[in-house]
Amino acid sequence: MHELSMAEAIVNTVLDVAEKNDAEEIVEVTLEIGQLTMLNPEQLKFLLDVLSEDTPLENSEIIIEDIPVEIKCRNCEFTGSANTDDSDHYLTIVLCPQCGKRDLEILKGRECNVKTIKIEKSDEDA
Amino acid sequence: MHKIAEVEVQHDIMVANRKLARRNQRILDKDGVFSVDVVGAIGSGKTSLIEALIDNMNYKIGVIAGDVISKYDAGRFQSHDVPVVGLNTGKECHLDAHLVENALGDLPLEEMDVLFIENVGNLICPVDFDLGSHMRMVVISVSEGDDTVEKHPLIFQDADLVIINKVDIAEAVGADAEKMVSDVHNINPEVKVIKSSLKIGEGLDVIIDSLQGFMKKF
Repeated sequence: MHELSMAEAIVNTVLDVAEKNDAEEIVEVTLEIGQLTMLNPEQLKFLLDVLSEDTPLENSEIIIEDIPVEIKCRNCEFTGSANTDDSDHYLTIVLCPQCGKRDLEILKGRECNVKTIKIEKSDEDA
Repeated sequence: MHKIAEVEVQHDIMVANRKLARRNQRILDKDGVFSVDVVGAIGSGKTSLIEALIDNMNYKIGVIAGDVISKYDAGRFQSHDVPVVGLNTGKECHLDAHLVENALGDLPLEEMDVLFIENVGNLICPVDFDLGSHMRMVVISVSEGDDTVEKHPLIFQDADLVIINKVDIAEAVGADAEKMVSDVHNINPEVKVIKSSLKIGEGLDVIIDSLQGFMKKF
């Protein structure tokens, strides 16, 4: 539901980094979206496409990497991948795989991270 | 000649919000203000609950009224003679830590004991946005349907206190309040769930007791 503001923040971040690196064009953007983040990747991609029009991002490929949930259990101290039920991406309920409890610290899975961008720049800038 | 270069960015939009949230909590801690993020469905009774708490809790209370257009709720709180800041989210479906930070600057924190932050009526988006409050209270009512909890599990997983309001009309709207309670406990076994009917004052004393319990641990 807040894909638009997230997409705006992503576009601003990418354009800012691209400008600082003298990019002429942005070829590829890799995002990491946690399984617990309330963002629908399809909607996010659509909005990124819309917002990219007439910017150096216009023809870039957007790659979204899904980040699985990692937890630390406050009950049994287990640390590692969580058990997640098979419901939708953004409605995942998280359990400790060792003791089954839900009193957990979420270590990974809530990201909306701009990981890397691939840019095209002129050789003279190198 | 052109060349392709990969640039490491590693900028997490969510982390930026969480850092601001931690800063908000430090601001609140400095003045000893206990804060409650009140989230819930549209029309579930969030504003009515906060009004009742203002009138019945023996503390100096302030309110941040967040809404798409906040003046309506802010006006209701102002009539109880407490400090209020309205936050218009406009097109946004949730409050975030940055908006709350701005509002904190407009409140007399040093004169307050408790801050209620009324979030936008929404059971989805606020999950992603920590505001820096000390606890989160989720308010729903039977009139949203007794499958509301099952359909929005994450907000209940993070909740510290859950209120199921309007139980007096459960039968009329064909909702099973007990099912809603057990659905919450399936997701979050430890959380306290209180059934209430704010219109007739039912459950309010239990809610106040429970909030005071959290405040003692603060």
